[in-house]
Amino acid sequence: MSNLAVLPIALPFLAGIIVAFFHKKLVAARIFALIATVIHLAVTIMILLQVNGNGSYVLELGNWKAPYGIVLVADPLSALLVMTTAIIGVAAVIYAPKSLSKIQEEFYFYSFFFLLISGVSGAFLTGDLFNLFVFFEVLLMASYGLIVLGNGKAQLRESLKYILINLFSSMLFVTTIAFLYSVVGTVNMAQAAERVGEVEQQGILTTIAILLFFVFATKAAVFPLYYWLPNSYTVPNAVVSALFGALLTKVGVYSILRTFTLIFNHEVPLTHTLFIYLAIFTMIFGVIGALSTNNVKLIIAYNIIPAVGFMLMGIGIFTETAIAGSIYYLVHDMIIKAVLFLLIGAIIYAAGTSDLNKMGGMIHHFPVLGWMFFLSTLVLAGIPPFSGFIGKLLLIQGGLEQEEILVVLAALISSLGILFSMIRIFIKGFWGEPDIMKIPEQKPSMSLMVWPIGLLLTLSVVLGVGAEWFYPSIESIAQYVMNPEIYIESVLKE
Amino acid sequence: MILAVLLPFIIAIFIPFLSKWKDKFHTGIVVTLVPLVIFTYFARFLGTDFEPVTRSYRWIPSLDMNMVFHLDGLSLLFVMLISGIGTLVAFYSIYYLHKSEKLGHFYVYFLIFMGSMLGVVLSDNIYVLYSFWEFTSLSSFLLIGYWNHKHGSRYGALKSMLITVFGGLSLLGALVFMHTITGTTSIQEMIANNEAILNHEFFPLILSLLLLGAFTKSAQFPFHIWLPDAMEAPTPVSAYLHSATMVKAGIFLVARFSPMMSASDWYFIIVSSFGIVTLCWGSYMAVRQTDLKGILAFSTISQLGMIMAMIGFGTKVAIFAAVFHILNHATFKGSLFMIAGIVDHETGTRDIRKLGGLMNYLPMTATLAMFGVFSMAGFPLPFLNGFYSKEMFFNASLDLSATEGIAAFLTSAIPYLAVFGSIFTFVYSMYFFFGTFRGKANIDQLPKKPHEAPVGMLISPAVLVLLVVAIGLFPFIINEPFISHAASAVYGGEAMKEIYFWHGFNLPFIMSLTVIAFGTILALTIPRWKTVYNFVPGVLSMNKVYDFTVDKSVVFSSKVNKSYMTGSLALYMKLILITIVGVSFTLFFMTGGFALELSNLAPVTTIEIIVALTMAIAAFGTIFTNNRIAAILILGVVGYGLAMLFIIYRAPDLALTQLIVETVTVALFLLVFYHLPNLTDRGETGRGKLINWLVSIGFGLLITTVAISSHSSKWFDVISSYFVDNSYKLGGGDNIVNVILVDMRGLDTLFEIAVLGLAAMAIYSLIKIKNKKEE
Amino acid sequence: MEIIMSVLAGILFMTGVYNLLQKQLLRIVIGTALVSHGAHLTILTMGKLKDGAPPILTEGVENYTDPLPQALILTSIVISFGVTSLLLVLAYRASKINHTDNMDQLRGNDYE
Repeated sequence: MSNLAVLPIALPFLAGIIVAFFHKKLVAARIFALIATVIHLAVTIMILLQVNGNGSYVLELGNWKAPYGIVLVADPLSALLVMTTAIIGVAAVIYAPKSLSKIQEEFYFYSFFFLLISGVSGAFLTGDLFNLFVFFEVLLMASYGLIVLGNGKAQLRESLKYILINLFSSMLFVTTIAFLYSVVGTVNMAQAAERVGEVEQQGILTTIAILLFFVFATKAAVFPLYYWLPNSYTVPNAVVSALFGALLTKVGVYSILRTFTLIFNHEVPLTHTLFIYLAIFTMIFGVIGALSTNNVKLIIAYNIIPAVGFMLMGIGIFTETAIAGSIYYLVHDMIIKAVLFLLIGAIIYAAGTSDLNKMGGMIHHFPVLGWMFFLSTLVLAGIPPFSGFIGKLLLIQGGLEQEEILVVLAALISSLGILFSMIRIFIKGFWGEPDIMKIPEQKPSMSLMVWPIGLLLTLSVVLGVGAEWFYPSIESIAQYVMNPEIYIESVLKE
Repeated sequence: MILAVLLPFIIAIFIPFLSKWKDKFHTGIVVTLVPLVIFTYFARFLGTDFEPVTRSYRWIPSLDMNMVFHLDGLSLLFVMLISGIGTLVAFYSIYYLHKSEKLGHFYVYFLIFMGSMLGVVLSDNIYVLYSFWEFTSLSSFLLIGYWNHKHGSRYGALKSMLITVFGGLSLLGALVFMHTITGTTSIQEMIANNEAILNHEFFPLILSLLLLGAFTKSAQFPFHIWLPDAMEAPTPVSAYLHSATMVKAGIFLVARFSPMMSASDWYFIIVSSFGIVTLCWGSYMAVRQTDLKGILAFSTISQLGMIMAMIGFGTKVAIFAAVFHILNHATFKGSLFMIAGIVDHETGTRDIRKLGGLMNYLPMTATLAMFGVFSMAGFPLPFLNGFYSKEMFFNASLDLSATEGIAAFLTSAIPYLAVFGSIFTFVYSMYFFFGTFRGKANIDQLPKKPHEAPVGMLISPAVLVLLVVAIGLFPFIINEPFISHAASAVYGGEAMKEIYFWHGFNLPFIMSLTVIAFGTILALTIPRWKTVYNFVPGVLSMNKVYDFTVDKSVVFSSKVNKSYMTGSLALYMKLILITIVGVSFTLFFMTGGFALELSNLAPVTTIEIIVALTMAIAAFGTIFTNNRIAAILILGVVGYGLAMLFIIYRAPDLALTQLIVETVTVALFLLVFYHLPNLTDRGETGRGKLINWLVSIGFGLLITTVAISSHSSKWFDVISSYFVDNSYKLGGGDNIVNVILVDMRGLDTLFEIAVLGLAAMAIYSLIKIKNKKEE
Repeated sequence: MEIIMSVLAGILFMTGVYNLLQKQLLRIVIGTALVSHGAHLTILTMGKLKDGAPPILTEGVENYTDPLPQALILTSIVISFGVTSLLLVLAYRASKINHTDNMDQLRGNDYE
């Protein structure tokens, strides 16, 4: 059964290749994409259920036993994230045709999309550091394809910066893997973890760990490495932004979470205290960014950053409660960021502008969009009983148990900042007199945009109100993550 | 009991469907029934033999978040207020809001508020309480913004939300803190275990966070500024949320936690001083207002301050008076708000400068107003409930005892401040009444010709005024079955049983007389001393602070953000690199990362040195050349040099690949940059150049030192011997690297090809999709 | 020898980064190429240098150099090649459309 673990990678990979053959036949491509993502979702749900019931799947590819070959590890954490990815995939595919231009769809959108999903799933599943690098490259390359799609002036300008910074961090990534390989003689994560645990004198390891952290932190958009993010997430099409916002930074966060709970848990007072301070600055500067602009899409893009701060806060506090908070927040944030980018895409589509100063009174014409936006604002700001609150609550609890007052205060203040930045859109864009906007007589039909958003939004409401259905398993994941020997044993089978 | 709390929410879901029949009957009729049902449900609990009731329902047990409702005297008082006033307000709104308004929206928000408010006062679980608490803020936001085409509405809505949510978040901090200390989420259990909290080293922080939540919600100075702007909401909302119920949530919170915290000196000092200052400031500022609802808003602020102060006193008399006044205030202030609404509705304005002499036009309204106003002023008449609580307040203010420190100073100052605040209370009450209903009528100035309000609109305020009189005449009727339970729930012991009108000619009564004497003089001479407002507060108002903070937060953010989010890649790279280099080196030295092991090094040979030197020189050459072709070719030298090194270091496959890739890359470079401008001078300034060099050298140094240290720390055998052993046996190939690539690490290779494929597709679409601007 | 190679890798990174900090696109792209070379050289150095024969099984040879880093480098070279080619085409397109090859002029606040 452990062969199942390869499916979340293989299915979208194959789908991406197949769809490339009829990339100009849009109807067929759309139907194919929808079917493929639904199957993919079904498979990931099955894996999650199996993993939660029977324990992790460890797949040794080509039957080369660990640590020599590459292993895929579908443990509760990665299975959960892979499934969340699949959910977002389905929503994106439904939304895409309405949002993309014909030419964008024709030029391999679906191939890039599927390989992005494949790369993201691979990054979540792999148990091998170098393989993680390869999957990073796959998802980055797919994201390069997506970000330039359409060849807009601003798009090309921003994607150049995006690619350059990512290329640099990728090269630092392989270099760091080389350093680690020299010290511990392996690229298998479980074995590396075991060996790091054995050495007494840490010496150079902490420096290598922190270099690796910076590599992931660049992807995750942690302060002060996030400069590339806001603009490059704003220029592409809404559906692409949604995929980026929901998945890419989260892969970075996941990698930090994985490596710093599994491998580098030896210098906790040093490294994790650093994380807490970085988390504080990430939250504050993210909120500053979100308040600084009148471009609605840019506001959403900036709001990614404080969320990363929240997750990093949990990793820094490093207790079961806090890690559970980070994981809850991670899942919540993947969904709500997809919702927000898709929603803002629909809003811009309806309003014909992304400038907040040119909007007004939209609630009279688009009540559904308005209320969905209001609700997602509450979810994002962590108003109870929605999903953002549960994660935030756990993080604050964890923080106060460890008496990390400063970061808790920063979290509370930045929640207010997030709410302020979002409610500005609601007040300025949806309230007020509708006169200042030119709304076409014939309102565009937007149901294909609204449905996937509604679906995801419902999910994130359920994730909060129905926390009882989810929290126990998140708690056990946190327990599992905090006890890395289980992972090591399951891979190395000693 | 959960049904009673959830009923408003459930009905709210169905409200939008009612709008179909909007023309036939007013949605408000249905809505009025909801609080009425709740009121009758809870009225059963009234009685002298009332005992607290607890009901719990599972919600999220794994997070200790369950719907636990605890109905004690305090909750009962609030529940009666919420449902009772709720019924009256809903009924009043039927006449106030025209059918052409968006009634569906209004009543949905209204019901959500009612349900949340019931939740706040009934919850025993702190997180459930917090959830409902935030929902009251949100529904208040939506209600204030109900007429959102008006700028004032939007401004007021945002202001109230920011301030109350700010308070809510700090409340959350306090609640979670208490949870982590006591290990329970039940307020009652926390109260039983209050020692742990009182003795905790962070107690002052917890107390401040908690009180911040309460003070913002209950509009205590200096957080009161949102309340006057909240008057943009329809008047029923002001009567309900912003005088009778929501603003009292903060008071409720302090009262709820009073048994836990009152043992602390700081609790007394902070709560009473904020309360008393709010009392004085609110009443003083009320006289300055020209909008009827503005006067009432500041009056509410002032009265809330008074209640807050009394809870802070914490004595038996004070607590009783506080609880009693919560009820009294709700009755007279509720009626006055409705009267202000009637005046607005019938004359078209609330500006007191245009109003006057309405006694003749709205006699019924004026009569009702008279009772409300004189009760508010605390006029010593046996049929006005306001007098009783005012008198008890004076009594309580004299009854304080503290011997040292700030507390002692406060104790001696409080009676004077109490009198000061009450004088102005008297003044604004008279100002409100006489300015509106007496004096010269300027009917021509009014937007509408005034006439008496419809009967339906008068019923609700009339009921409230009736209560004012009834409580005034027969206070004992409501005391034993109702108020005393609430008081003992807050005080934590037996409460007062008797309320008298006549206490004898004692100090509190003299204080009352002083208030009336000075109040009358000041009220008659308002125009003469009004200039004082130019000096205090003058230009220094908390509103300015708020506006400044909100506007500046946006401006400041833009400024800060622009300072580094410049769009300049070089700047981004520099910041990123400085961080990486700085932090890594710091940790490197802190953890003693440096290691140097010379025993396992490969021998140095001349050829390698030559290649390495060539590469290094070429690498520098790329920087210094100003010719694009030369730069690209020099880059090629580095690449071929690397291939040479691969050969020397026994990596034939790598060398081959590197040669091919390098050749193709150089060709591509030439192809692309043939079409681009030639290299120009780098145009660096001296300082910029220095920084660039420092950053680059720092990073190069980091790589070199970490590389040397890593190489010197080979603590484990590499896993490669397995590959050597099994390459042929299991992989069937002699070339180990190839076997690893295609078999052992085949997944890497597969996806490496995928990357190439993706790159090809991306390049293809880059070239194929034409940009409009190019053509 | 490893120490010299480490220094060389450091120099490659240093010059690469210096080029990356420039304004002209060509210099920046050259910078990325140098950084990749540095990274590959580092991987090679981190395995042991010249510690045995080329990793091709030959009769009578017991000692081979570490094959794993070589495999990793190979993967990495191919990936860098893909990214570099994309980057080159993108650089060309971006500079044509924006009428400049100066990175400092490639800024702006329009997001169409």
